[in-house]
Amino acid sequence: MRMRTVEISVGAFMLAGMLALVAMAVKVSGLTTSGSGETYELTAYFDNTGSLKPRAKISMAGVTIGKIKRVELDKDSYMAKVVMGIDSKVDNIPIDSTAAIVTAGLLGEQFISISIGGDDIYLQNGERFEDTQSALILEELIGKFLLGSVGKDN
Amino acid sequence: MNTISTNQSTDNSSDVLTTDNFIEVRGLSFYRGSRVIFNNIDLDIPRGKVVGIMGPSGTGKTTLLRLIGRQLVPDQGSIMVDGHDIASLSRERLFVLRRKMGMLFQSGALFTDLTVFENVAFPLRIHTELSESMIRDIVFMKLQAVGLRGAWSLMPSELSGGMNRRVALARAIALDPEMVMYDEPFVGQDPIAMGVLVGLIRKLNQALGITSIIVSHDLHETASIADLLYLIADGEVIGRGTPEEMLNSTDPRVSQFMQGMPDGPVPFHYPANDYQKELLTPEVFDEV
Amino acid sequence: MKFDVLGRLAQLGQFVLGHIQSIGRSGIFLFLAIFSRASFKNKGELLIRQLYNVGVLSLIIVTVSGLFIGMVLALQGYSILVSYGSEGAVGQLVALSLVRELGPVVTALLFAGRAGSALTAEIGLMKATEQLSSMEMIGVDPLKRVIAPRFWAGVISMPLLAAIFNLVGILGGSMVGVDWLGIYEGSFWTGMQQSVDFIDDVGNGMVKSLVFGIVVTWIAVFQGYDATPTSEGISRATTRTVVYSSLAVLGLDFILTAVMFGEL
Repeated sequence: MRMRTVEISVGAFMLAGMLALVAMAVKVSGLTTSGSGETYELTAYFDNTGSLKPRAKISMAGVTIGKIKRVELDKDSYMAKVVMGIDSKVDNIPIDSTAAIVTAGLLGEQFISISIGGDDIYLQNGERFEDTQSALILEELIGKFLLGSVGKDN
Repeated sequence: MNTISTNQSTDNSSDVLTTDNFIEVRGLSFYRGSRVIFNNIDLDIPRGKVVGIMGPSGTGKTTLLRLIGRQLVPDQGSIMVDGHDIASLSRERLFVLRRKMGMLFQSGALFTDLTVFENVAFPLRIHTELSESMIRDIVFMKLQAVGLRGAWSLMPSELSGGMNRRVALARAIALDPEMVMYDEPFVGQDPIAMGVLVGLIRKLNQALGITSIIVSHDLHETASIADLLYLIADGEVIGRGTPEEMLNSTDPRVSQFMQGMPDGPVPFHYPANDYQKELLTPEVFDEV
Repeated sequence: MKFDVLGRLAQLGQFVLGHIQSIGRSGIFLFLAIFSRASFKNKGELLIRQLYNVGVLSLIIVTVSGLFIGMVLALQGYSILVSYGSEGAVGQLVALSLVRELGPVVTALLFAGRAGSALTAEIGLMKATEQLSSMEMIGVDPLKRVIAPRFWAGVISMPLLAAIFNLVGILGGSMVGVDWLGIYEGSFWTGMQQSVDFIDDVGNGMVKSLVFGIVVTWIAVFQGYDATPTSEGISRATTRTVVYSSLAVLGLDFILTAVMFGEL
């Protein structure tokens, strides 16, 4: 009889723990059945990635469509290679689209924003963005401004 | 450490018991750190007898029981229990042998989270495949033997000290052991409970032929039921014999214990500097 | 007053050796408790009883603490973030700090105080009243019967308690942030969901609390088993359990954090 209450409360405790874990999966980390599972990989090469970090978001028209998997140095070209995981549902990114590293607000974190190109051929798993735009480094910008070189470049 | 001359008691060799021994201890030495608990002692526990092991407090009497149950391992010497050298037994064989040994612990050692019934049933559930109704019958038989069948549903915390020890005794004999070891069974008991326990121990020995080892420093009670007494002091057996022989012993150490004299070979005073000198020199504390 | 260098040195050596010895002893102890087969039947029942003692009875303190910590986090986070106009990030702040750090660590500390000390005292008392010895004489290995179910109960309970702590904390945070301070509900939850990754954050947090569960319960049961069987010895062992496990949790937390999140 007493063992029964013990068993019931232990069962309730275990259940509550499991439910808390599930709730954290769904409500807190936004894990959904289709969301995280299937992605395909695209790469892009940048001269400078600034403070871009793995797991930063990739957005298109302001909507998040994926996350950055890795940021590494390509030894041959001395450029930064960024590997992105794109949601499989977004499978129609034109091959001439541009990947740009932008900053959320003045001091916010950096992420990749994709501007759509016009081509009919879409990027496939493992392919790379040809057109990229590096991160804006505030110090460099100020340096250039002080030397009066802004605008002369282009 | 022991300044007393180690004159081996003469009555040690006088009567060699020819009966079959349940336990034979040979050349046992045991140290705790650098402290000598036992120094090369020999001991026989004859089958079916009540043997009292006595000695001043702190002489390792409980340690001896633990050595026999192999909860401790001797540094030297051998202990034969029912013909088996317990040092060489595997863990499984040891647990089988322990079924023949019941032990009544000084504090009773009932499992505080189980009822009286479950405490007595515990060894049965562990060691036998008996049905629930058989276990019930056996538990009630054992509880009846110690006069506590009516208390079967109580928790150990609801029992008095004497009842606690009687339940523990019922548990110790649940598996019908061939030997029961009693660790200080009379300590902290009122005279009635003590009398009950003495009666129970004797009854168990006479009715079931259970070999009994009583470790105690309660002289009167132990002497009243023991067939054979051992007196242990300073890590050695200083006396051995029937209660009468021991009472009439001329060995000064034996008679000091048996007569309960405060001073003798076992000194009353803890070793100290000269009394007079210490009183006259108050700065003695600074010298330390 | 003598200056005894050699004696001091020997003392230091003794001290170090003594500690290494007790680490070794506790390792052997844990190994024996877990990796040898048990011979008795009602293992499940023993485990459930211990889950009750260790897990269910710690539930109240864990839930209440989680609620308040979540609420305080939201309040503090709001007061700072609002001056940058980014109070929407409160959800993210509360969730990340709970899931990654505070959940596992605070739960482990509470667990050490509530369940760990109780385990030590209980086992120490069983030793002092010779229950462990008598169990051994009856032919039951107390490591199997007493230690193993308690150990497993602790290991199972800790991650569950931490999960509950996290969830209650986040709910507390949303109560303060959304219902009281008036943060827009959408940005609170969406910001949270975007920044919290299930594997990297929630998963790593759970791994942490599993490790803490093992360490804290191990320390608790070993201190009880190793206690000097007197009332003074038990009280010292209980204190040691809380001190050692708190230190172990905080130290291990640093190491685990460095391994898990150090590269980010």
